[in-house]
Amino acid sequence: MQPATASQPTVADRVPSPALSAEGLSLSFGGVKALQDVAMELRKSELLAVIGPNGAGKTSLLNCLTGFYRPQQGRVVLDGDKVISGLPTHKIARLGVSRTFQGTHLFTGMTVLDNIMIGRYSHMRTNLAQAFLYVPWTRREEVQHREFVEDIIDFLEITTVRKRVVGELGYGLRKRVDLARALAMEPSVLLMDEPMAGMNLEEKEDLARFILDVREARGIPIVIVEHDMAVVMDIADRIVVLDFGRKISEGTPAEVSGDPVVIKAYLGEAH
Amino acid sequence: MSMQPAGVFAQSYVRDMAIFRTWKQGAALGFFVLALLLVPTILGPRYVAIANIMLITSVVVLGLQITTGLAGQVNLGQAAFMGMGAYTAAALSSGQQWPFLVTVPLAGLVAALFGAIFGLAAVRIRGFYLALTTIAAQFIFVFAILNLPASWTGAAQGLRVETASVFGFVFNTDNRMYFLILAITAIMTVGAYGIARSRHGRAFVAVRDDDLAAGFTGVNVVRAKATAFFVGAFYAGVGGALWAYYIRFVAVDQFSLFNSVYYMGMVIVGGLGSMAGAFVGVFLIRAAQEILTSVGPSVADIFPALGSSVVFASVNIILGAAIALMLILEPRGVMHRFNILKRAFRLWPYPH
Ligand SMILES: Nc1ncnc2c1ncn2[C@@H]1O[C@H](COP(=O)(O)OP(=O)(O)OP(=O)(O)O)[C@@H](O)[C@H]1O
Ligand SMILES: [Mg+2]
Repeated sequence: MQPATASQPTVADRVPSPALSAEGLSLSFGGVKALQDVAMELRKSELLAVIGPNGAGKTSLLNCLTGFYRPQQGRVVLDGDKVISGLPTHKIARLGVSRTFQGTHLFTGMTVLDNIMIGRYSHMRTNLAQAFLYVPWTRREEVQHREFVEDIIDFLEITTVRKRVVGELGYGLRKRVDLARALAMEPSVLLMDEPMAGMNLEEKEDLARFILDVREARGIPIVIVEHDMAVVMDIADRIVVLDFGRKISEGTPAEVSGDPVVIKAYLGEAH
Repeated sequence: MSMQPAGVFAQSYVRDMAIFRTWKQGAALGFFVLALLLVPTILGPRYVAIANIMLITSVVVLGLQITTGLAGQVNLGQAAFMGMGAYTAAALSSGQQWPFLVTVPLAGLVAALFGAIFGLAAVRIRGFYLALTTIAAQFIFVFAILNLPASWTGAAQGLRVETASVFGFVFNTDNRMYFLILAITAIMTVGAYGIARSRHGRAFVAVRDDDLAAGFTGVNVVRAKATAFFVGAFYAGVGGALWAYYIRFVAVDQFSLFNSVYYMGMVIVGGLGSMAGAFVGVFLIRAAQEILTSVGPSVADIFPALGSSVVFASVNIILGAAIALMLILEPRGVMHRFNILKRAFRLWPYPH
């Protein structure tokens, strides 16, 4: 930065910098404009919901935030000063951006425990030679991270299935393992793509409770993409509404649900 | 519901992470090791020779178990990686008089670097096309050996190899070689288990199961694939070095595509991803090869019209058919079937 800017008090000096922000994101696939000039901001320890009709661009937004899609325009900034757009996904993950998936992307051949241990991968240091010899230090590191993972397993109440192979588990449990793996990464922000799709009411209530607990107990700011409006209105602090790749509204649940533009977009989808 | 032996509740995570969790498992291993140590005393020289080849092959297949079984990267170049190791050991021992304990790890390293190149190729290509690409390793290997200075590689003549010796002790008989090979195989086996249950092993399986999710979880997928090839080829290189010291002669045709295909067959028969399965696969297929090749000549004697080449071809067809049948009946390998039986037995007579 140039010294001149230091003397001018900027907005950033007064307001705490957002945990994650995106500016002017545009992304198209051939003729399909998945995102058009979308900006968003996730404040510290906030639960932000992203809603919108099918094909609105919600997953595309998450994919841009996590580095899986490269937006043709715009940038993504972590912690107010780290530009992460353009980095490969594993680097973004290591900087603390963690996500769960629409559907599941678990390692189906591994046990629940190993799936979650993968979340610790980049926090562990054992190199190949140490692994080959399984030196005492490697064993100690393994135990130490295992303890961390067991805490998450307790927290998400999946203790009884920890040795089961993920491929054998039902959908509701898989979604919990997905969340557990994301939490094991000790993320600084957590992005969840339709975590409750395909769940029954009870499973939804359980997961909503866990999500709120994550935010309360760990203070991790969360972006959640969700179709179930009742859940969104219940748990979100703020909502961003996308439609045809554009952000059409933003605000508290009360503001958004009263916004005529939003009502029109949803009614438009209904008929 | 859990997969632990009934009644075993891990006292601590260290216990829980151990490979052997009950005294029975430890005792079984003890007996197995004892039996291996007694092989030269109990069995005749012919069987010691077979055992030597089986152990060497096991080291090579353990490596393939890491590249293909854990990381899911198809590899039909394992014999070429083995050949790289064999030639490295041969050239350094005969030409430079370097000692066994130096040439073996170096052979592993040279093979590993050669293998890692194909690991980088695996970043862009997968499945069938990756298989084709790794076949190229076979041709590159032959091309390199035949075109490097003949004083290094012996070119088409092949290379003679010095006897192995460690701190002045010369391993100049099959029996002595057996113990040397057994010791190295033991080290490589323990190492394979170490890698498999470390963060690297988990990353390999993650890349195999879902490389997208692996990336989002912080695994550098490019690096993991290259590493899986690096490690797998390292094993091939060490196996190749043992081969060189045991046969005392190396030639390119000892490391053909044909062998690579068999190594894949061994991994599949034993069970993808199972280190114990590597041994099972090697044992079953090598034993079948031995039986068929010893039966073969007598068949050729009885029906001279068949000729030995027809018999040789039929041996491979029969084995190939057996592997194919095995794949249809138990695609997850012998070890998988064994584990199911073991679990059933452990819980017997209680269904839970
Ligand atoms: N990889 C891709 N290739 C081509 N088009 C894509 C790709 N990903 C997304 N799109 C298109 O971009 C638009 C936005 O898709 P996106 O998946 O982001 O929507 P969404 O809001 O997540 O929808 P849903 O609620 O159905 O999950 C859609 O028209 C989709 O077809
Ligand atoms: Mg979506």
